[in-house]
Amino acid sequence: MQVYINSTGRYLPGKAVNNEEIESVLGLIHGKKSRLKRKILNSNGILQRHYAINDQQQTTISNSDMAANAGMNCIDESYLAPAKIQMLSCATSQGDMVLPGFGSMVQAALNLSEVELHTSHGICSSSMMALKTAFNNIRCQDSDNALVIASELTSRLFKHSRYEQVTDQAVDFNAEFLRWMLSDGAGALLLENQPRPTGRSLRIDWIKSFSHANVFPVCMSVGQSKDEEQKTWQDYSSYGEAEQAGALLLRQDVRLLDNIVAVGVQGFLKLIAQGHVDPHKIDHVLCHFSSKYFKNKIFEMLEVSGASIAEEKWYTNLYQRGNTGCASIFIMLDEFIKTHELKAGETLFCMVPESGRFNCAYMHLTVVG
Amino acid sequence: MDNIVLTKLGQSCLQSLLKVWFDFDLAITQVPIIKRLEQGRLSIEDYQSLLLNLRQQVIEGSRWISRCASSFDREYADVRSTVISHATEEHRDYLILENDYVATGGTLTDIQAASKNIGSEALHGFLMYRASQPNPVDLIGAMWIIEGLGNKMASKWSQRINEQFSFENTITAFMDYHGENDENHLQALYRLIDRVATSPERVNDIIRTAKVVAKLYQLQLEEVDNG
Repeated sequence: MQVYINSTGRYLPGKAVNNEEIESVLGLIHGKKSRLKRKILNSNGILQRHYAINDQQQTTISNSDMAANAGMNCIDESYLAPAKIQMLSCATSQGDMVLPGFGSMVQAALNLSEVELHTSHGICSSSMMALKTAFNNIRCQDSDNALVIASELTSRLFKHSRYEQVTDQAVDFNAEFLRWMLSDGAGALLLENQPRPTGRSLRIDWIKSFSHANVFPVCMSVGQSKDEEQKTWQDYSSYGEAEQAGALLLRQDVRLLDNIVAVGVQGFLKLIAQGHVDPHKIDHVLCHFSSKYFKNKIFEMLEVSGASIAEEKWYTNLYQRGNTGCASIFIMLDEFIKTHELKAGETLFCMVPESGRFNCAYMHLTVVG
Repeated sequence: MDNIVLTKLGQSCLQSLLKVWFDFDLAITQVPIIKRLEQGRLSIEDYQSLLLNLRQQVIEGSRWISRCASSFDREYADVRSTVISHATEEHRDYLILENDYVATGGTLTDIQAASKNIGSEALHGFLMYRASQPNPVDLIGAMWIIEGLGNKMASKWSQRINEQFSFENTITAFMDYHGENDENHLQALYRLIDRVATSPERVNDIIRTAKVVAKLYQLQLEEVDNG
């Protein structure tokens, strides 16, 4: 059974926030401007983003409501009645509630009846896991269609007050790094077992991922304080104590980050060797990568070996819409499809390398219709 | 970068070599002593032990490269020249390594008297065997892995080691040395690949040797903890 992406949607909360305005939304930590902000922004290249919190750091829309809005936007542009949706597959790094699963909250917000439900939890690649589950469900003919939604509201972790709770240590680079990297938003894809009657559809040829958590330490995390090897957030006697220890900060071990390039390229070369992809037959690349990585020597070697893909084929909207974690790849696909005149037969290669504990997901799509 | 013209076969060879390298890179990241090194949990005894084990293969390294050079006949005189200059450059590497060992507090007689570990035996045996074959072009695959390791030592391991220990004199001269002239070495390897990857069979031979060398090098590193 073939599976097609027949509609896409997105929701970005509030107005676009430029680099100068970030701290007026997230707040100044201990009343001081960040010394790292400019350096990190220069390196990630992001120019504007959206936040689901206001300048008082109050939440303006919940994560599940953002997801529902992206889902509605996607359904609105499709031929399918909401009542006909058979599966809902959702992803986020952190729902509004710890429990139940994010998908339950999104289903309720969308008022979808009796769907088969799936929630995938993780960081950037969790949307690809949610998508793969939905793709397989249709492939094995358990469902005729599936709505897949990925949504993130990480700004709540970046409020100045979060950092100010931490006692006995200054905010280090690793704890501050993602504050200038991540922002909020949601993206949605509608999958069906037949192409849409008019316009273009994207056939999903395959989705594959390779995880290397057994090889590398944790690189991006919430739940463990700096220099702590055993104890995680629920092991403290109170949540307050965990927060004071810095166990609830979103951290990135920047030193490990370079491994993502090797891991991403290793997977790409493996897919070429297995005959799943031919770099010369890719028309468009959508990659959840920061462009600074392309200066890496590994990419030079790829180019020499003829396995690189010409720069003009790469598309990203990370710089304008922000890095919205797992939602990014869907938000990227949505904008790409809506701003390009795609021709039948063109191919798209999508790549989501996740630095959490090094999982790289890849997808191959072909334009039909 | 601009003057590199790899042939189609050369490109496919390089692509496969890159894949072998990344697979090897992932595999050695899981070797316990390398895990400790890369995650900042190496003891000075660990580092001494690593140097002591590496030295036994490094000192033999110059032998297989020299043997390899002499196995190229007149048809490959140009390749022979490249390999000879490679051998000249590296045949005294072990002295730098020994200095590092002494700088960490080790004694010269200990490192000189140590024998090869099981992995080093296998690696050296394989390399000498291949180097003794007529026109052993497949050894480009071995050079690729060893060059890659040199780069990894210089760019990553040396930094990690220096973060953990501080001695009066450098203890990472051997690892740092392999980062010098990196770009030239890479260019020379590209040229060699273009020169010898002239048929699909040749490419297969090169890849196979790269894989064997990678696996045996991994074994050599695994055996460091078993000394």
